Amino acid sequence: MEDLDRLYHERPKNHLVRLSLLAMIALIAGTWIFGNFVETENTNRLANVERFLNELRPYPLQDRNFDLSIALSWSSDLIDEKGWEAMSTTLAISVAAIVLAGIWGTLLALPAARNITAGFTYDPPKLLWTLIVGTTRLVLIFLRAIPEYVWAFLLLALLGPTAWPAVLALALHNSGIIGKLSAEVIEDLPREQLRSLTSIGASRLQIVMAAVAPAALPRLLLFFFYRWETCVREATVLGMLGIVSLGFWIQDARARNFYDEMFFLILLGAFIVMIGDVVSTLVRAYVRRAS
Amino acid sequence: MSSKGGDLSIRDVSVVFDSVTALDRVSLDIQSGEAVALVGLSGAGKTTLLNTCNAMTWPTNGNISIDGKNLSSMDTNELKMARMRIGFVHQQLSLVPNLRVIQNVVIGRLGHRSLIGSARDLLFPSREITEQVYDILQSVGIPEKIYERTDRLSGGQQQRVAIARALFQDPNILLADEPVSSVDPARAEATIALMKDICASRGLTLCVSLHNLELARAFFPRMVAMRNGRIIFDQPTDTLQSYEIEKVFSLVDDSLASPPLSAQEDGLGGRFG
Repeated sequence: MEDLDRLYHERPKNHLVRLSLLAMIALIAGTWIFGNFVETENTNRLANVERFLNELRPYPLQDRNFDLSIALSWSSDLIDEKGWEAMSTTLAISVAAIVLAGIWGTLLALPAARNITAGFTYDPPKLLWTLIVGTTRLVLIFLRAIPEYVWAFLLLALLGPTAWPAVLALALHNSGIIGKLSAEVIEDLPREQLRSLTSIGASRLQIVMAAVAPAALPRLLLFFFYRWETCVREATVLGMLGIVSLGFWIQDARARNFYDEMFFLILLGAFIVMIGDVVSTLVRAYVRRAS
Repeated sequence: MSSKGGDLSIRDVSVVFDSVTALDRVSLDIQSGEAVALVGLSGAGKTTLLNTCNAMTWPTNGNISIDGKNLSSMDTNELKMARMRIGFVHQQLSLVPNLRVIQNVVIGRLGHRSLIGSARDLLFPSREITEQVYDILQSVGIPEKIYERTDRLSGGQQQRVAIARALFQDPNILLADEPVSSVDPARAEATIALMKDICASRGLTLCVSLHNLELARAFFPRMVAMRNGRIIFDQPTDTLQSYEIEKVFSLVDDSLASPPLSAQEDGLGGRFG
């Protein structure tokens, strides 16, 4: 039993995890003590909330009892007027963006993967290839370091208020993310599989085609669909810059103080994000099963 | 098919990895068409020796020649040609799991083909290629699996696909690194017999590293034993004395912890060390 106690005391401990836990607890306690969160001076707050909630109700229904037929006709008018167009534009932007991001990201992932550039051998990589890996990785970092909102802002000035600034902004930012993730997937592929192809005289591109692509594709598809999900959400937000996706109409309704319309459009936005979520989950589950 | 080259000459080869000596001045000559078993404990240097033969590991010292041509003096293209002539069956399966058997076999000939040509062979193989793959699969005994997904096959069947791939390469030399370490004893014997027969009928040089001494004795006329990076004997199997065999597998003078000999002889002693 003494042995057991000694082994218990000598067991390997992860100090980083323990310290981070302590730091986290201290941080939470600190914010409660020193932060100014719990303030209740403003007595109008409740009234404000009540007024706001009332304004979220469809306009024809404000200050009267709820009537489903009125609500439905109001919403279908709104959907006919701008809802369909806004939703389909948002979806179209996200799909175009993820297709471009997928292509660019994968193309950049190949030179960024160290096992490909090293030719799948254990030999030390040549200087030229080290430079190629470094440069590609820098490009990838740069692409994802700039948020899609900022990309869109810059491109809007360049291309004018069409859907393209949103598409390109999402594509650029996401190709940085997809490129990095894909490069990592490729580097994690079983080394012997790829190395054995070098040992029979196959070129880098042949190995990419015959072994890297089939082995990595299922996982890359998982990333594409995950990023597509976020693209749908971001395409909505980017509308606030003046690109006619859902965000534009939300902004527009807000500017005209039509809170009921704004709220309805936000719900539509949530709806297509949820659709995107469900589609992406189904596709990813299918890809996982098939691979 | 008659013998078509495939002399392998290893001269004074040493390999040092980060101050660990994996091979220590090893010399070995294998004639075209010969069948050699390479035996020894894990860590004896068998895998390193096989890897130097197709220049996947470069020797720190010494030379390796194939049909009289020194590997280290070859340019990239010549090296590629040399590698194409050496089939290699690995210990860990080196097949792409989610491709079909036919595609995995076709991969064996990538080195012979252009990028476009190999893409066509992989995706839309011609009737001729398909028939060639079918013939090779017939010779390893699993022709009916040609369109099966590779990861649906058993370990033994996958090992046969790996052999088929190496044969499809049309090599002069077939090297195999512990090809049966993950296969049950009965199948191990069948697999080794298969490789041996195919190589004999095609005139290929065969060098197989094995843990299992009984297999080596039963199928190979010549046995090369290694220990601590050196060759401790190289002689015809029928002249072997039991004390010499004990020298290979005895655990004295060996820092590696290994299971007793009996575990290796039943063919299950796959990995230790």
